[in-house]
Amino acid sequence: MPTKAYIYDALRSPRGRADGSNADLYEVKPIDLLSQCLRAFQRRSGREELPASIDDLIIGCNTPVGDQGYNIARAALLNAGWGSARGGLQINRFNTSGLEAVNLAAARITAEYGEVIIAGGIECMSRVPTYLNGGPMLNDPSTVINSHYIPQGVAADLVAGSNDISREELDAYALKSHAKAVAAQKAGRYSKSLEQIADANGLVILAEDTICSPGLNTDDLAELPPRFTEMGLAGFDEMALHRFPLVDHVEHSHTIGNTSKAADGCALVLLGSEKAGKELSLIPRARIRAVAMSAVDATLLTGGRNAAELALAKAGLEVKDIDLWEFNESYAAPTIRFQRHFEIEDDCFNALGGAIALGEPLGAVGGMMLCQLLDEMERRDLTLGSLTIDAGAGLAVSTIIERV
Amino acid sequence: MIHYRKDTDNIVTLILDMEGRSSNLLNHELVAAFQPVIKHLQSEKAAGRVSGIIITSAKKDFLQGGDLSYLRELKDPEEAFNAAQKLKTFLRDIERPGVPVVAAINGDAIGTGFELALACHHRIALANPKTRLGHPEVKIGLIPSGGAVIRLMWLLGIERAYPLLLEGRRYSPQEALKVGIIDDLADDQTGLMRKAKAWLLSDPPTQRPWDEEDGEIPGGTAAEPNLGHRIRLLTARLSATYNDLYPAERAILDLLAEGSKLDFETACRLDSRYYARVATGQVSNNMISTFWFDKQAIRTNGLGRPKGYGKFRPRKVGIIGAGRMGSGIAFLCLRNGLTVVLKDVSQPIADRGREYVIERIDEYIERGTFQPEEREELLSRIITTDQSAEFENCDIVVEAVFENKAIKLKVTKEAEEQLDEFAVFATNTISIPITELGKGSLRPENYVGIHFFSPAEKTYVVEVIRGEQTNDETIARAFDFATSIRKIPVVVKDSWGFFTARVLNTYILEGVTMLNEGYPAALVENMGRQAGMEKGPLALADELGLSLVMRYEEQAASHYGTKYKQHPAVPALKIMLDDLGRGGKSKRAGFYEYDADGTARLWNGISDHFPVTKDDYDRRRMKDRFLFCQVIESGWCLQENVITEPAGANLASVYGWGFPRYTGGVLRYLESYGREEFAARCAELSERYGQRFTLPKALRP
Repeated sequence: MPTKAYIYDALRSPRGRADGSNADLYEVKPIDLLSQCLRAFQRRSGREELPASIDDLIIGCNTPVGDQGYNIARAALLNAGWGSARGGLQINRFNTSGLEAVNLAAARITAEYGEVIIAGGIECMSRVPTYLNGGPMLNDPSTVINSHYIPQGVAADLVAGSNDISREELDAYALKSHAKAVAAQKAGRYSKSLEQIADANGLVILAEDTICSPGLNTDDLAELPPRFTEMGLAGFDEMALHRFPLVDHVEHSHTIGNTSKAADGCALVLLGSEKAGKELSLIPRARIRAVAMSAVDATLLTGGRNAAELALAKAGLEVKDIDLWEFNESYAAPTIRFQRHFEIEDDCFNALGGAIALGEPLGAVGGMMLCQLLDEMERRDLTLGSLTIDAGAGLAVSTIIERV
Repeated sequence: MIHYRKDTDNIVTLILDMEGRSSNLLNHELVAAFQPVIKHLQSEKAAGRVSGIIITSAKKDFLQGGDLSYLRELKDPEEAFNAAQKLKTFLRDIERPGVPVVAAINGDAIGTGFELALACHHRIALANPKTRLGHPEVKIGLIPSGGAVIRLMWLLGIERAYPLLLEGRRYSPQEALKVGIIDDLADDQTGLMRKAKAWLLSDPPTQRPWDEEDGEIPGGTAAEPNLGHRIRLLTARLSATYNDLYPAERAILDLLAEGSKLDFETACRLDSRYYARVATGQVSNNMISTFWFDKQAIRTNGLGRPKGYGKFRPRKVGIIGAGRMGSGIAFLCLRNGLTVVLKDVSQPIADRGREYVIERIDEYIERGTFQPEEREELLSRIITTDQSAEFENCDIVVEAVFENKAIKLKVTKEAEEQLDEFAVFATNTISIPITELGKGSLRPENYVGIHFFSPAEKTYVVEVIRGEQTNDETIARAFDFATSIRKIPVVVKDSWGFFTARVLNTYILEGVTMLNEGYPAALVENMGRQAGMEKGPLALADELGLSLVMRYEEQAASHYGTKYKQHPAVPALKIMLDDLGRGGKSKRAGFYEYDADGTARLWNGISDHFPVTKDDYDRRRMKDRFLFCQVIESGWCLQENVITEPAGANLASVYGWGFPRYTGGVLRYLESYGREEFAARCAELSERYGQRFTLPKALRP
């Protein structure tokens, strides 16, 4: 019987807008954001000496350069005064990074290569915008051509068109995401995981998620212009047709309203073996039941379905066994496609709203979704939850958790 | 070979003057001749006896490019790499004598010839608008081998160098100054040398920017996020435009992106590696063969022109019809020094043609091809009129009225009455047999078809169509007229659709056939474009009009009589035309539907009438069908003497109907595919799709 990986706690910062005009966490250094979240585990566990038990800190980050560069995981341990902790690893699998960090920690624990690991992600997009990544898939001509990697927004438009998802459906979905987020916030359903962010004096900078457009309505959404037409016309539409010649043209239907917005934030999960948990007198909240990773054509954004099915198969479960689903809302079309395919009820799908309403701090979003999933499963007293994220270049990651 | 002169200011002038040649050529001889000169200059510099160098030429040209017959046969990448490195070493020697060097460009400097100028610290050109400068290598599937890509990047920045290299235009000195590849112009030879010397005496830098410690590429390197992002957009455009079929274009963008992040020497070595790959590849071989050698054969050696007739030098040209076509031809004639009489049914309509010409002239002045002072002279050579009497003394009259036989006959007669028996009368038609029109002519032996493609001023070929009564001398004259206005004439027989439209029609029919077989329309269109054709077959059908597509096929039927086997596209065309009344773009309803603003979208009712039954498709097979059907039809044209020269077929296919350039044309494609392999593939295709894929004898191994 392999060692099981348990989730002992999960916490996150609020999500702040990173759109330039209203950057709620813009004044906070990524390293400080991460350090504050780390220290919160000490308070929440009531164990000041927790760092000495930590075997590794695995941090996912989509743009690990500049203020987020040079292994921010190790930097945070040292900056937070956690010098007694071992490890410090920064990984990048785009916006699945945070979830992948959790999966990797679970794998290490299962393999008994670590006992207690903190895993999660960070992204301060207001400070470290994505374009600072560079990278051959973005600006090495031959790699762009060989990989057929097109902007994800154009890919999402392609997904909408080839799955007959209309602009109206995309907008309707965006409204639902907002309604769920507003209701969740009002009912205090984020509070269990949420850690407010303060300055060195203890003065609070941000205590709650910033919901993108709380008073959103159908007419506002309908008026928004398509967001990716320009990129499409630059030549990416034609590149999409190179790969998918059954499509006549790419209809640009995603707008700023039905896609996720840039955001700042950090989310962390404390994982460990059963034995380690007992030693630290921690109570397990859930366990990682199965993890899977998948990749489809790099032009597309549809790996999620594949990854979720793989995870189910590995867990020996069926679709109907899953009580609550989380699917990352980078773009409405792949999200609708996912929900439609598995025939998931609205109430069981992204129950507390998603990235369309709350913003998407890329590296951190996986951890944030895990917080929401676990909190809501506990509130409703459910057993099994599935969490899936589509990423760039055809990648997708999925995790199934089970309450214990 | 290199004259060496030194003046009292210690300025050395090197005058290139290769023996036994009418122009200088950058070859191993010249490089060898330079070696002692460079050595001598270095010792002179060390002794403080030289302060600057001017390089100029004693010939009409400054310096000609490389040896294309050698390049065409070049197969060994190592040999190509070494040759490129050797040239670069030579050019590095030129640009690093420790003193400033000026290129005094007194005439043409193209390709490798321009590399020498780029290796100089400063470039001044004689302002002769007929001179041509630049790097057109990409047009024959190559990239420059001496480091021009890297030097231009350093001189202009990535974003200015890229379009210039990608377009491969030959610039007049005035345009060259505008785009930034030269630094100054001089009015005459004396001024050229004076300016060169003045620059050398102005305390100029002795190093190139890339040799400076803190030298920077203007606009930055691809490592900078903003530029990196724009390179991504350029890549998308490249992929969308060229369907990843053109290695040279791609190499240029790769080199700029990669080379900008490296030091000059390393970037140059990388350049040689890309060059070796491109130069030894099949595409450059195809393109050199067709766009250099085939073109030369026709333009310079008169391939296809009846022999034994003196050169026809037209001076005065009459044009009937002042629409887009007639006005375009008028502009072409003016541009090439001819006098034009442009006639239409009324003076105001004829004057619209003049307006069109003025617009074009101003456009060319704007970009520097013409000089402002040429405007008046150009316009002095065009008369617009509604009177046929003005055609008196014309050497040739070109009729370009719309496709209506009765009108064509009427205007022909009116014009011919004004002409003497030596004048040529040419009709520009795409669908009415020349023989038929010629019957109504006063002098059918002088009556010929010249088929211009649209827009006339921009396309490269014309079809010269021989009617049954057209005599050889008239063909020779039409041929000479075409070359005098810088067109490549391809002589063809009076077959249905002549040569180009007849072959292109097979592509359209193949597309309609696929639709009829149950392939989705979008797939058919995408596969056509991805095979390298400019447009999808269904879009082309709409543009031409489905009834014309049908008419060509009916003409084929009547030509072959009992041997004709109906093309499987015909029933589908009939559904479109007869049942659905969707005749094409002019009806604003065909395979596409057309918005008022001109956007076209595939008609969403297509699948109701041509149900999609194929859920699987073989890309390679679809592309092969599209290109093979055109090769095969060209083979029939050869066999039936519709065309006689493969060179003309190649050029007409690319320039006339948009057969993919990378193939080097419709018959070059066959050769580079390999006749054996081609025949084997045809056997497969004909078994699957029918006898239209059977090879005519002319194309068999």
